[in-house]
Amino acid sequence: MSSVNGVVPTTIIVAGLALAAYALLMTALNRRMGIVLLAALGVLEILLLVLVGLIVAKLASGERPPGGLATLIGYLIAMPLVPLVAGFWGLLERSRWGPAVVAVAGLVAAVLMVRLHEIWAVIRV
Amino acid sequence: MSEPAASPTSPPESTRTGPGRLLVAVYALFALSASARAGVQIATKFSHAPVAYVLSAFAGLVYIIATVTLANGSRTARRIAVVSCSVELVGVLAVGTWSIVDRATFPDATVWSGYGSGYGFVPLVLPVFGLLWLYRWSKRARTRKAAAVTSAGDAGDTADGGDPAVHAVTSREHGQAG
Repeated sequence: MSSVNGVVPTTIIVAGLALAAYALLMTALNRRMGIVLLAALGVLEILLLVLVGLIVAKLASGERPPGGLATLIGYLIAMPLVPLVAGFWGLLERSRWGPAVVAVAGLVAAVLMVRLHEIWAVIRV
Repeated sequence: MSEPAASPTSPPESTRTGPGRLLVAVYALFALSASARAGVQIATKFSHAPVAYVLSAFAGLVYIIATVTLANGSRTARRIAVVSCSVELVGVLAVGTWSIVDRATFPDATVWSGYGSGYGFVPLVLPVFGLLWLYRWSKRARTRKAAAVTSAGDAGDTADGGDPAVHAVTSREHGQAG
């Protein structure tokens, strides 16, 4: 596994892990979904959309991932959906398990970022 | 700067609420990732590792069924969920062992190879939590039914042939399914 380089991917991984840690803390403290977690999900969403934009720009310039185009496109579709679906599903739950769902979303965003980097280590900005 | 406190803990109303919310989320995640992975692999390079890819597709199907039935939560859905969680547990144990014994058949990993080691062993623990959750639910359903029978008996409601307790439980089930 190559190390992840680039500001945007690194920020996504750090943000995802920080979100997961905060959401797990909220679960442990028996809190439900609130504005802080929603705002954090929004930040993660924006970061992921920036990432998708950077990769689409690379694709538009004619470059292709060695790991397979179909898989890459799957990641580009799936990754921005993670915070949205987690926010929706977490808000439906009025207990500590709402933040638990958000914690999973943060971890998943970080893991998907690492895997995406294995498919195509192209983002260096 | 903190989130609002949760309301006093009331028992979850369905298999998709409370801890079930987390369970359904993780199942949906695996349903998506396993079937998407299998779809890409079968479409682009099926001959490379046909056994592994077919098993991935099967795993994806099992995850989809478990997700839908856990989210639905009616009595029939819970029964199907027990079966799919059991199949999943047997699958991850069998495929995990198979992938270690016979590496040649698995040049590419599936969700279940190495007991789900490529996915942080979540595929191994997920069916266990699923079955525990469903077991808790079946116990709760039985307790409710018994309570309904007891209260109906207390009210002396034994006049006609219809069993009010059964009706009460059934209507509650339908309410959850909606």
